[in-house]
Amino acid sequence: MLGRLGMKRVLAAGAFALAGTLAAGSAVTPATAETLRYATIGEPPSLDTQMGTAVVATMIAQHMFETLYALDSKSVPQPLLAEGETVSEDGKTITVTLRQGVPFHNGEEMKADDVAASLKRWAEFGARGSTLGLDTVEATGDYEVTITLKAPNGAWKSLLAQVNGGPIVFPAEIVSAAAGEPVKPESYIGTGPYKFSDWRPNRYVELVKFDDYAARSEPADGMAGNREAVLDTLRFIPVSDVGTRVSGVQAGDYDYAEFISGDLYAILKDDPSVTPYISASPIFGLLFMNSKDGILKDNYALRRAILTALNMTEALQVSVGDPELWDAQGAFFTKDSVWYTDAGTEAYNVGDPEKAKSMAAEAGYDGAPIRLLVSTNYQQHFDQANVFKRQLADAGINVELDVRDWATLLKQRAEPGAWDLFMTHHNTVADPALLTFMNDNYPGWWTSPEKEELEATFINTSDLDGRPATWAEIQKLAYEQVPAAKVGDVFSFDIAAPGFKPAWDKAPGFQYFWGASK
Amino acid sequence: MWIYIAKRTGAAFATLVAASVIIFMFIHLIPGDPILVMLGDSATPEQAAALRTRLGLDQPLVVQYFYWAASALQGDLGRSIFFDEPVTSVIVDGAETSILLALITMVWVVVIGVPVGVIAAVKRGSALDQGLSGLAMLMASIPTFWVGLYLILVFAATLGWLPSSGYPSIFEDGGLANLRYLLLPSFALAAPNAALILRLTRASMLDVSKEDYIRTARAKGISPRRVVLRHTLRNALLVVVSAFGFTLGALISEAVVTETVFALPGIGRTVVQSILRRDYPVIQGVILVIVCLYLVINLLVDISYRFLDPRVELS
Repeated sequence: MLGRLGMKRVLAAGAFALAGTLAAGSAVTPATAETLRYATIGEPPSLDTQMGTAVVATMIAQHMFETLYALDSKSVPQPLLAEGETVSEDGKTITVTLRQGVPFHNGEEMKADDVAASLKRWAEFGARGSTLGLDTVEATGDYEVTITLKAPNGAWKSLLAQVNGGPIVFPAEIVSAAAGEPVKPESYIGTGPYKFSDWRPNRYVELVKFDDYAARSEPADGMAGNREAVLDTLRFIPVSDVGTRVSGVQAGDYDYAEFISGDLYAILKDDPSVTPYISASPIFGLLFMNSKDGILKDNYALRRAILTALNMTEALQVSVGDPELWDAQGAFFTKDSVWYTDAGTEAYNVGDPEKAKSMAAEAGYDGAPIRLLVSTNYQQHFDQANVFKRQLADAGINVELDVRDWATLLKQRAEPGAWDLFMTHHNTVADPALLTFMNDNYPGWWTSPEKEELEATFINTSDLDGRPATWAEIQKLAYEQVPAAKVGDVFSFDIAAPGFKPAWDKAPGFQYFWGASK
Repeated sequence: MWIYIAKRTGAAFATLVAASVIIFMFIHLIPGDPILVMLGDSATPEQAAALRTRLGLDQPLVVQYFYWAASALQGDLGRSIFFDEPVTSVIVDGAETSILLALITMVWVVVIGVPVGVIAAVKRGSALDQGLSGLAMLMASIPTFWVGLYLILVFAATLGWLPSSGYPSIFEDGGLANLRYLLLPSFALAAPNAALILRLTRASMLDVSKEDYIRTARAKGISPRRVVLRHTLRNALLVVVSAFGFTLGALISEAVVTETVFALPGIGRTVVQSILRRDYPVIQGVILVIVCLYLVINLLVDISYRFLDPRVELS
């Protein structure tokens, strides 16, 4: 047992140790000026983005891996690893000439064999590989690849420019060995301005500048053109709590933090310790309808009644908040896109319960419950679903919420008999062919003779200039048959420390940091 | 004594086996599919089937259990579906943060809880006692995440004294200085537990002080300080030590919230994320390790009774 003096000594020693630790803490180690510390919303799955479409994985991986083409600021594909191309008259054979002298991170030069092997693997196993309709791909020279399609595909260049689940180029031996398995971190070899350095689960993913990067000479324009790595290191740190991401930037522990809640925007836009960056690329909510089974299966009139009851402005106000962060517009692409059209959008955001009630009666609706599957993992989905439930109740349409966690929802929505409506969201895509409701196999399973006919014209066409007009007809049909109701454009916002300078004013869909400095 | 320990260890092992069956079956009964979470919206059914086969998730549940249990007995807890690396590595990586967090928290709990509890008991009924007891009530009532957010706001965002979040390993640059990353989270985590220990110490001290042998000690003229520290506190600690077992257990569950708020790469946060991803091997592995910890802690607490009070029967 300690005597009086002993106890005092112990306490004094403890206080001294504590003071020492606190003193050490007062000098929070500043990160080197050349490191970007980016707080992500969560941990990425594999960074082999041929195989998956997770947003956080794409955002990180695009610094390491490149595609043949890249989208410029107007979403038009421009050559990146490609130099140019020729397309046969029937639109089925595309010969791509590659840039010369582009090194991989392992020092080997990228050649046609690597591109051919990467495209072949993507078409066979890739997350979006089936969208191209690839027949064969061959290296027809050291720097020439010949792609043959099963049918003409007007979206081919946009698909080859897609970074999310797109055909990124690896060395041939890596993709051939990996086949349908995700490439392992030790084989993350690309041609990008940053190369893989380290991955500590739950801690960070780190990329470092690739000194031998072969940059394009054209000025940077969106994702296209010159990609100059200024910062030495990019460190992506998972910080799932939004409050922690915000205070981390305010405290100087992070340079950049993504996906800040809309309700914090009003406070943070006037806070001198952070700079908000609103996304240029909206995410839009979608209320999918079941085209395969249940009460909505082929009752387009009832679907239109549901759409007529919905007031999207109200749902966006409740779920997002600040009007700078949302736009209640019904087109599936933004006004600055070549795909923008207002065809059919007069049916969007009507919010008329009386009209909806009579439309539902005409559609033969008898008050039977309609099951709306929604997840609490995405607060916006849940908020919107609650607003919709009340609006539909006003129109006499009886909606029952089936609330699940996201992993359960993914499983349940794959079962046609388990739901009538479900909430999800969609990122902006390069081509309408990539919209989920265009995919016959995506839960919702929208197929109809009218859709098939328009789709055939839209996808299997060599008439590239006519595609926007066909898309306008498809969008119009989407408002008549309502495979999914668009909720509205939501612009997420990120925050940066004041000294940090990205290469853009509005955050792109996948924030890239070549050209960024601090 | 040794026979007792051997018996208790055997019982603990049987509990562990039963727990492993329950853990495995319950986790696999939760709806949700790790394959769909992993592959995302655009995966084809063929891709999903191939990955399911590769991970052995297409096998009957009983077969999967026996594979898992047999490997676990050899120290192999399987591979994380999400990270594609051994579960033991994921646990070891998170363990550094979680163990250090728990240790520093326990230091706060002891340094604050026991002495303040003794002071409150000695000054029973005084304004100081009422103030300290009221403060303890407040600390026990405020949620850990709220304390955490305010600590970040004050000490990180406003004063800039301590880091707001994250934790670099002590094996990286900074070494022991990295422990400063754990000061705020450990304090947030300690607050309710220190309050509990404070109240328990106070109550236990008051109980013991009514005992005859304390009266005898006082009658013998032993100094009040010696009576408090040597006679009362030593006996009062018997109850407090058993509470430490519960506190350590509570820390494991409360650490989940704290690790999320402070973005600490600990086991608590890992297991929550793994549940959302349905990363079965990680969830199973972590829970199994936690069950082991509980069993060991209970065993140690029981044995420590024997050392503190020789009258405690070990049968």
